[in-house]
Amino acid sequence: MRFDSYHPAINFIYFATAIACTLAFNQPVFLAISFLCAFAYSVKLRGRKALPLNLALLPLMAAYTWWYSYYNHFGVTNLRTNFAGNWITLESVAAGAAISVAAAAVIMWMSCVFTVVSSDKVVYLLGRLSPKLSLFFSILLRMFPRCGRQLSRINTARRGIGRGAGQGSFPAKALNSVKILSALISWTLEEFVESSVSMRNRGYSLKGRTAFSIYRFDNRDRSLVVVMFICITLIIMAVMLDQTAMMFDPEIIINRITPVSAVFYGAYALLLVMPGALQIADEMRFRRNRKNILTNCK
Amino acid sequence: MAHFEIRNLSFSYPGSSRGKALDNVNLTIERGEYLTVCGKSGSGKTTLLRHLKSVLAPHGKLTGEILFNGRPLQDADLRTQSAGIGYVMQNPDSQIVTDKVWHELAFGLESLGTDQKTIRLRVAEMASYFGIQGWFHRNVAELSGGQKQLLNLASIMAMQPEVLILDEPTSQLDPIAASDFLNTVRKINLELGTTIIITEHRLEDIFHASDRVALMEGGRITACDTPRRVGDRLKYGNNDMFAAMPAPVQIYYSLKDRLKTPGECPLTVREGRNWLSGIFAESEPTVTEIEKEEFGEIGVPAISVKEVWYRYEKNAPDVLRSTSLGVQKGSFHAIVGGNGTGKSTMLKAICGICKPYRGNILINGKKLEKYKDGELFSSNLAMLPQDARSIFVKKTVREDLEEMTAGGDEGEAAIAEVAEICDISHLLDTHPYDLSGGEQQRAALAKVLLTRPQILLMDEPTKGMDSFFKRKFAEIIGDLKSRGVTVLMVSHDVEFCAAYTDVVSMFFDGGIVTTDTPNSFFSRNSFYTTAANRMSRHIFANAINNEDVTELCIKNL
Repeated sequence: MRFDSYHPAINFIYFATAIACTLAFNQPVFLAISFLCAFAYSVKLRGRKALPLNLALLPLMAAYTWWYSYYNHFGVTNLRTNFAGNWITLESVAAGAAISVAAAAVIMWMSCVFTVVSSDKVVYLLGRLSPKLSLFFSILLRMFPRCGRQLSRINTARRGIGRGAGQGSFPAKALNSVKILSALISWTLEEFVESSVSMRNRGYSLKGRTAFSIYRFDNRDRSLVVVMFICITLIIMAVMLDQTAMMFDPEIIINRITPVSAVFYGAYALLLVMPGALQIADEMRFRRNRKNILTNCK
Repeated sequence: MAHFEIRNLSFSYPGSSRGKALDNVNLTIERGEYLTVCGKSGSGKTTLLRHLKSVLAPHGKLTGEILFNGRPLQDADLRTQSAGIGYVMQNPDSQIVTDKVWHELAFGLESLGTDQKTIRLRVAEMASYFGIQGWFHRNVAELSGGQKQLLNLASIMAMQPEVLILDEPTSQLDPIAASDFLNTVRKINLELGTTIIITEHRLEDIFHASDRVALMEGGRITACDTPRRVGDRLKYGNNDMFAAMPAPVQIYYSLKDRLKTPGECPLTVREGRNWLSGIFAESEPTVTEIEKEEFGEIGVPAISVKEVWYRYEKNAPDVLRSTSLGVQKGSFHAIVGGNGTGKSTMLKAICGICKPYRGNILINGKKLEKYKDGELFSSNLAMLPQDARSIFVKKTVREDLEEMTAGGDEGEAAIAEVAEICDISHLLDTHPYDLSGGEQQRAALAKVLLTRPQILLMDEPTKGMDSFFKRKFAEIIGDLKSRGVTVLMVSHDVEFCAAYTDVVSMFFDGGIVTTDTPNSFFSRNSFYTTAANRMSRHIFANAINNEDVTELCIKNL
């Protein structure tokens, strides 16, 4: 039901667009949409766990804005003069706020990316570029946790004979740790040799490698792509009409907001809320169906 | 036309002093045949098998030729060989390449450049045939050893090979997973007609299933015949390999000369039962019990575990639940039980690696936490880990052993002594990773013994050992015991426990269920017991070793 049930390519397009737009647009309406959607979606996806990070971002944003305006003195509207005699201008406060909002939104988007895009999907997307690259990535993904486990296995084995990393006098501890690390390195090299034999055994060096995936691109994915690209087209029009940018230096300049602007805002908001909205719609349908089943059973 | 034909194959490793690894080997393997290659460690089994697939063939001096489907093997290109000749290796973990089960299944087909649709179908087919669909999406790291090896087999079978070569595939598995695996191999042979060439040291599971058994000694094939005839040859050739034969075969030959009509040699427990029934069909046996020792109370415990509770994480379930155990000083105590029941955790708790949150552990009557680290592990307690490899940190066995001593002449004398005890004197200058499974286990034991332990803990020490090594290993333990060392072992190896231990405990669901002498322990069980006992339990009350059965039969004849 979640967004990760869609094809990885769609996840990729969505997050790439969301993050790129958040970074590129500094017009306040667009910024606000980015920020609110990122906030809402991260809470929808991760529930209460998202709140500490999201709320911690707010004071950080304020701090950044303060810091930025304290050290950048462009602009024409003086708010007050600081102790060094420099102006704190409205323009620099606004610019600092815009940057901090964008940065916070990107951080929240990234928290959504980590929840939705599993390593499988990354491997798949890399596989579209090059099968060997994706295989390499998949091997690495296995290697790191495996080394960690082997490290603790070696340490356990060594503790059983009183030579663990945390045993003995201080120099003995250091020496034991070094030995354990060197044992881990020889183990890793040995494993690489064996797994390369296993790869050759299954024809790794043959030409024309393909990349298999368990994902299917179905009609639901297709219709979503269509909607997404309509939104993206409208957003590109907004960019071309300078609707998404604003200037801070020397003074704040925003392009005129017309009724057509509302269409652009709508398209941008629609694109960003789409995954969360689809998830909520699916969940509601699921709940209703279950209720029907329960009442039918009675 | 034969599937494989090996003609006058000789091979020697470059710079090897051991002489030829393969010496004039001639062997013909028919299509659809199930061929078992048996022999001691180092007899050239792996070398022979590796030559049957060009990419795996070791470098060295080679003469003679190998024909695959009537044509020289090297003429078959990489693509044909990759798909056509499947090869499953020993270590389940290091053969796996990718991080997901589904990706691993598809790996070979990806290499062959198969298209999405075909891979999807083949992978689905394999997952269904091998019962993998339940863990299809899992990370490889979450699988058990048995599941990993099954995955290796399935991902080879996905390429639809016509011949399947397996090099000691079950040496790292517990007995239940091992026999599941070997049954699947048998099923592939019967249902798909795939040619099987396998080496194994657990002969009881494959001996009866083989069409032919090839016996290798010193790089030569000295016999290649039906299992029964090979058994016969081994017995009358006074061959060491006879000790590796399944229990029914060994019992048959120990009685054959005393019987008027010995009949045909039984290969399985079922055949063995019927054969024994046949012997006593006319005259009921009069003596049905061997004398046994009663299990006495524990006098002086070297280790006592008192109602210990342990869990790995705060919210994880308890692994040890009010576990209690007493180990008599100077005894050889074995703990048997299934996988994941907490046996190894208990060993870790006894040597202080896991700290129980409730209960006490006393070593020689003193609480574990009262010991300082240095005190506990010098001349007192030591543990031999399950994965022997993880204990080595140096380039040669000698350096590794030197790490444990203070150095000097005294240290060298100590190393020479343990090397002698563990029979690794000739291996001291080898890299520990280059040793075979059994050799690694003995080198690890030597290293552990250098702490001069009075209490030795061992986790699955016989894993990966062939029957000679096991016998030798039992001698080493016997020797230690005579010096007053207490040995506590966790093991899956029922036959080993029955033959050599003093006390056996059953571990289940976080605690010790029962403790008894091996004889009464195994004769009371009907599943978890030795082949000799399963074969004779309908006639004899408590015969658990091959020797017991033989002894009782002779008394009744």
